[in-house]
Amino acid sequence: MLLVLVRAFKGPTVIDRLVAINVIGTKSIVLLLFAGILFGQLEMFVDIALGYGLLNYIVSIAASRYYQHRRCLEPTHTANGGQPSRWKS
Amino acid sequence: MMPSLPIWQFDVLLLVLVVLFAVVALSIRNLMGAAVVFGAYSFMMCLIWAGMGAVDVAFTEAAVGAGVSTVFIVSTIYNTSATMRSRPGGMAFKLFIGVVVTLAGVFLLSALPDFPDWGDPNSPANATVAPYYIENSIRDTHVPNLVTSVLADYRGFDTLLETIVVFIACIAIYSILRIETAKSKTDEPEEDIATAPPSYDPSDSLIVRQASRFMVPFMQLFALYVIAHGHYSPGGGFQGGVILGASLILLAISFDLKFLLRQWREKPLMLLVASGVCLYATVGLACMFTGGNYLDYGSLDSVLPNDRAMARSHGILLVEIGVGITVMFSMLAIHINLASNGRFDRGL
Repeated sequence: MLLVLVRAFKGPTVIDRLVAINVIGTKSIVLLLFAGILFGQLEMFVDIALGYGLLNYIVSIAASRYYQHRRCLEPTHTANGGQPSRWKS
Repeated sequence: MMPSLPIWQFDVLLLVLVVLFAVVALSIRNLMGAAVVFGAYSFMMCLIWAGMGAVDVAFTEAAVGAGVSTVFIVSTIYNTSATMRSRPGGMAFKLFIGVVVTLAGVFLLSALPDFPDWGDPNSPANATVAPYYIENSIRDTHVPNLVTSVLADYRGFDTLLETIVVFIACIAIYSILRIETAKSKTDEPEEDIATAPPSYDPSDSLIVRQASRFMVPFMQLFALYVIAHGHYSPGGGFQGGVILGASLILLAISFDLKFLLRQWREKPLMLLVASGVCLYATVGLACMFTGGNYLDYGSLDSVLPNDRAMARSHGILLVEIGVGITVMFSMLAIHINLASNGRFDRGL
């Protein structure tokens, strides 16, 4: 998880951060379920994990929709005076 | 429960991670990256709550902090700008801010020794009301989840006011952002082409649309389960309402805002926001008419076909439904306002 965090911190492009955060979310769901097993009340933690999984999906969709609308995802985007093939971050 | 759980190590690991996430979120210059990291931060908080056994709080944090608020921040950034500008003021201003924050921290820390120890059985919270709730909740209300019975029954007033806070937040955002434009009434397609000429519309993603169309019913079913099953498991009106609202937000994001606005007109939406609070308050008034105090659901047993404790349980359910309605439509209205910049026509 620390490695992913490094990527989320340094990440040259926002896409790296986005993917890193998604991976963190997925790993955290697993951690949450492990906590549920530790406490011996798995059925409660499954609810939370489900809710988080659903909302994580929405966050990913919203963020990617943001980049679609802002046209940040096109590698040939040359808005800033001909800065070629560098994704704006 | 097993005696040797690695809870302590788990907590320390999570705390370190939380601090790391907070520092990362503050030091990223790009606001979009910061928003995303902030979502992960609040999920770490959710893990900490879960580790402390506060599953209801963990659920709320997962739904509100990690989920919906990140979407709100994203749609706010969409309508403003993702780059940070340095404030004017220079070094002296920063120094002043630093001194103020440090002083506030010192004051807060100086109050720390006055608190009772963590888990102290003689602290006021543990000595007076908590034993009463723990001993009498099942007998009084037939609700095994103590959090729900305390939240909606014993502390019904607090929750009523919390719901009103959500309502006020929605109204405030609405009244700040909403712009009445004459053009917004006429949804003419040529106006859209004039404002946004996309050669290829990337929002026409078949995969995203079909996946969302598949997910939305399950999300709503799960949210209804969370509201209705809040008596027995973590959850309740707030969490279920947020998930219900999030399912509609998902529709708005994966299709477009117009698709959603065709189904939810502005006026019914705001009426529904208010109706949840009204339902809550009406339940309280009904308790008065049946001879009890305000929000004393036990007196509803003269109307409902069950005994006093079951009447309280049903009263909690009614109140949770009211909370759910208000939260759901508040989330939706806030999202529409933020995403369309108050124009209610098109957006994220």
